[in-house]
Parts: sequence; C-alpha cells; structure tokens
Amino acid sequence: MKDITLKIREIAARLLQSGQVDIFMGWEKGQEEYQTRPFFARQEEDVEKLIFNEYSIHNLSNDLLKYRDGQEKIGIVVKGCDSRGIIRLIQDKQIERERLYIVGVACPGMKDPLQAVKDNSGFFPTAASAGLAKKCGDCIEPNPVIYDELIGDKQSPRAGEERFKLVKDIEDMSVDQRYQFFEDIFSRCIRCYACRQVCVACNCRTCIFDEMKPQWVGRETSISDNFMYHLVRASHMAGRCIECGECERVCPVNIPLMLINQKLIKDVNAFFGPYEAGIGYVEGVKPPLSSYQENDPDDFL
Amino acid sequence: MQILSKSKLEEALNQLGKNAELFVPLARGEESGFYPWSSYQAGSDRLMLDALNVLLPPKSVVFPQTERMYSFTSTGPAVEIKETFESPQPRIIFGLRACDAAAIACFDDVFLTMGFIDSFYQARRDNTTIVAHACYEPGANCFCEAMGVDPTEPVNADVIIRDAGEVYIWESKSSKGEKLTAALGSLLENKEAAAPGLKPFQQQANYEGVAEKLKGMFEDPIWEQLAATCQTCGICTYVCPSCYCFDIQVKSWGEEGYRFRCYDSCMYSEYTQMAGGHNPRGNERERFRNRFLHKLQFFSERYGKPLCTGCGRCIVACPAGINIVEIINNIKEADTSVRA
Repeated sequence: MKDITLKIREIAARLLQSGQVDIFMGWEKGQEEYQTRPFFARQEEDVEKLIFNEYSIHNLSNDLLKYRDGQEKIGIVVKGCDSRGIIRLIQDKQIERERLYIVGVACPGMKDPLQAVKDNSGFFPTAASAGLAKKCGDCIEPNPVIYDELIGDKQSPRAGEERFKLVKDIEDMSVDQRYQFFEDIFSRCIRCYACRQVCVACNCRTCIFDEMKPQWVGRETSISDNFMYHLVRASHMAGRCIECGECERVCPVNIPLMLINQKLIKDVNAFFGPYEAGIGYVEGVKPPLSSYQENDPDDFL
Repeated sequence: MQILSKSKLEEALNQLGKNAELFVPLARGEESGFYPWSSYQAGSDRLMLDALNVLLPPKSVVFPQTERMYSFTSTGPAVEIKETFESPQPRIIFGLRACDAAAIACFDDVFLTMGFIDSFYQARRDNTTIVAHACYEPGANCFCEAMGVDPTEPVNADVIIRDAGEVYIWESKSSKGEKLTAALGSLLENKEAAAPGLKPFQQQANYEGVAEKLKGMFEDPIWEQLAATCQTCGICTYVCPSCYCFDIQVKSWGEEGYRFRCYDSCMYSEYTQMAGGHNPRGNERERFRNRFLHKLQFFSERYGKPLCTGCGRCIVACPAGINIVEIINNIKEADTSVRA
C-alpha cells in the first residue's frame, strides 16, 4: 500500500503542479491509523498528506457533487466501487467526464474506519477486531471500470456464489415475518439522512424528503413515516445503486440498507437484465428504469 | 457513606422502576442507547453501566425526537384545541455520564431560562430524576474536562453513583435524590468504599479563548478548509447530547390533526429554507460554520458555557472523520492576523 500512496502523491503533485487539476481528492490519515478519511488537496504542499491504506474505504465520488456547478478540474482516486459511482454521475449528467482525471486503484478490500472507531469508543460491547468491511465481502468489481491511470495489480471479486443469499432468506419469509423484520429495522431509524447524503445515486438537487409544498414524507420518527422514508429511498435506487455500500456502512443504527438495495438489484436484473449499474460507461446508455420508450409494452408508465 | 452492592443492582433497578419509567444505558442488538428498564431482555440486551457510555444520548427522555404537542379540529376558520400532550409522569435516567448530565443542564438553560419557559420540556424535566454515573476513565474520544465538565462531579445530578469495584457509592444530591434513597431502603448499605482516581485524557482540546476568538472569524477561510469533506448528514446533531434544534410540524386529515415537534438539524438545507425561496445557509460551508459557531461561540455568549460537553459521539459516528477536537484546536491555533 506504501507504493500506492507514493504513486498517488506523485500523480497528484504532477496534476496540481501542471494545473491539470484544481483539486485532487484522496484520503488522509486521521488521529489514529484506522481513522483514514477524505482529503482534498488544492496545492502541491498538500500532497504529502495523501495516503492510501487498508482504511481508505470512503467513496469519494459522492463528493464530486459539491463541485457539479463549478468549472474546477478534479483529480480523484477511485477503487472499483467508487469508479462505478463516477459512471453513475456521468450517466446522470451530474459531472462531465472532461472535468475529471480519474486515478484508479485495484482494490484489495478495505477495513472500515467507522467500525474501528466504534470498537474503540467504549459505546458498544467489545467486539472481536473486524477484518474486511462487510461491503468488501460483497464486492463484484474491485477493479476500477473507468480511469485515466491505473495503479495496483488486478484483483478478483470477493462476492461468493450466493450473492443474494440474504435477499432470498427474506423472500422466503412469510408476509408477517417479513413485515416484522422490516418493522424491526426501520423502527430504529433516527432519520439522520446519512444514507442519502453519502449516496452517489442520491444526486437530486431537491430531494423529495426536503420538499415542503407538498410534504411528501412526514418528519415523525414513527413506524409509518420511517417506512415511507425507506420505501421511497429504496425505490429511487432501483437500477441505479452501484453497490458501494456506503449507506449501510455509515448508518449510526446499523440498518441493513444494502439488503434492500440488493433486492432491487436482483429484481432489476431479473426483469430487465442482465444489468449491473455503473459497470461500464457507454455514452447515452441509461439505467433500465431511467429511460422511456413510447412503445413500452406496459400500458402504464 | 451509602453504597449499593453491584450484586443488588438489578433488584435496585426493579425497585426504582416501580414508581417511575426508568431509563438505563443498554446495548440492544445493533443499537446502543438509553432504553426503558422495563423492556430489558436478559440474554439479548446488555446493561452498559460498566462501559464508557452509549451511542444514542439520554436527551430523548427529556426531549424526545418526536413529541406530540396538541391535537385540534378545524372547521372553517375555527380551530379548537382538543388535547395538549404534556408528559409529566415520573421518569428516572439511571447511569448517565457527566457529559450527558451537563448537556441536560444546557437544555435547562434553553428551555427554562431567559424569560422563556417551554411547558412541554418543563413537564418532563420537573419529573425526571437524574442518577449520574461519575466517570474516572476517559475514553479514546472524550474531552469533557476541556469543555468545563468535571467527569467525577456531574452537574444536575439528583444522585451520583461512583464505581468502587464491587459496589457503587451512592450520594444523594437533592430532594428528588432523597426519594430514590428512601425507595431503595435496605438495598443501600452503610459502608466505606473508595472511588478511583481520574485517569488522564487522551484527547487534548484547548478551548480557552476560542469563543472570544471566533467573534472575528465569521468570514475566515478556515471554514472552507474544515468543512471541505462534511457531507451534511444529520448524524452529529442527532447523536449529540446537547443539540436541541427542533421543528414544529403538523399532521392532519380532514378536520382532525395534531401538531408535533421533531428534531431538526442545522446540517440540512431545508432547516433554513425560507418561504420566499431564499436560503441563507445554502451550502455546506455555511451550515458547518453555523453548527460550530453555535456550539463554541453563540451559546457561550448567551449562557456562559459552550454547547459541547466533550462526549466524543460525533467523532465516533461522523462518516467523513470530522473531529471536533481538531476543529477547536485549529481555531485556537489559527493565525487570523494575516488574513484581515
């Protein structure tokens, strides 16, 4: 990983120095080794702060949304899943490919800094030290799918044969069991909207949850408003979730959001597939539920 | 001195839970927060009194995330209030730490002083008894002392318990506390026990002079840099024991309806969305700055203390690794003379 860090610094220094980019997005070390976090270098002096280590898990592609209305040229380091996020943004016309210099890193799998900081917080019963982050165990594409420069040796996917096993377990439940399951997980939602904020597919300029006239979704932390929030959030992910797993990773009350997203991935694949969101960029191609044809075989929508 | 043997803890909690809704720190499945002792499931829940703290703060006991205020019927222009939902039943928060007790003292300032009395808060607060748990071993993200909180002498406590190994030292601090002492009766014993010494803090925040210094830093470029990676989710505000912003909203169907309040977050753009369409804090830098100015400057100007009690929860839960200790120290060290 040291080599990757050095290579990233070298590229960042070159791009910033030559003026090829105005901002270079990567990661820096936090207080502790495990607290690796996003860092945006703006000058050559900043470059020394950039690191890549086993905790460089944060998907930076979402941060591009902050610059969508600007003119800045942006360098960004992406792993496999993060690079799918960039395709999400380009397909959704949120950022132009020409503004980006993408440094791809073939990802060996990451550990989760949030899990590590929680394990050391004293706020939870002591857990065994975690290995690879859960989302990395479900990874179908560790290698960047769009890049200008690639670092590291090609990696193999880590998702097992039974990619949708947990989804199938839920599908096999009775209606009552399933309702109980969702009630249990949604009742603990504190509506902090972190799952929305870290999501690269959540790029609407005005989110339905912020609309006040009319207010589509109530703001009570009640089971009905929480259900509504999660149903709406999830359905907007259909065919668009790039499986970076950030929503589930950052959730402060550990709602298994990827389980819900995976159900949609499975269904979109079954109904309209084969389809994997953001796995390759073809100009003009849109996700299945983002395109409309007049001769659609269904008579409604 | 009076002590409560740890072997009698469950019995004592059962006793206290008879006359009041009793909240205790629990780890429950994936969750970590204060929950009713009456909902405690031995085996699956874990009582967290021996741990540092829990992730979700006890503020919801006196200030719930969603609280109904009143119901109404409206026919034409006439509105009739049917019922107000003030909630005066007795409650006990058992085992909260000094940081969380100090945060409730901040709420008291906001909701009960300066000529403003919030009757919904008051009904809950007046009937809540606080059993605070003195802290001797600061955790990896604790910095309460730097924010003026003494972890070993929690403020606002009706009772302070101190962990002395096999027993808790039980110190009643108020008439509400005396009632709990009386309720426990012979479960409390008279015995000598020694509280441990306070261990050193790992986090070093230097807040001295920061409130004053911030007065001149509203337009400082440091905010751009500090807020760069903030994703403006509401985690920090919701896990914060002292954040108290709320919104008042309504649910109605036909002629019936009720008003409720719910936590709001200054991290959301909708928080400052104005009716005419303008938003004075439209971007993350402005929202981020406001949050820290409120915590570190504005509250201190109004109430003489910061609105941060150093619990460290935001450091633990922030997806972007934003660390308030670093922010305080960066502001403290910032050379503002060259930026004028």
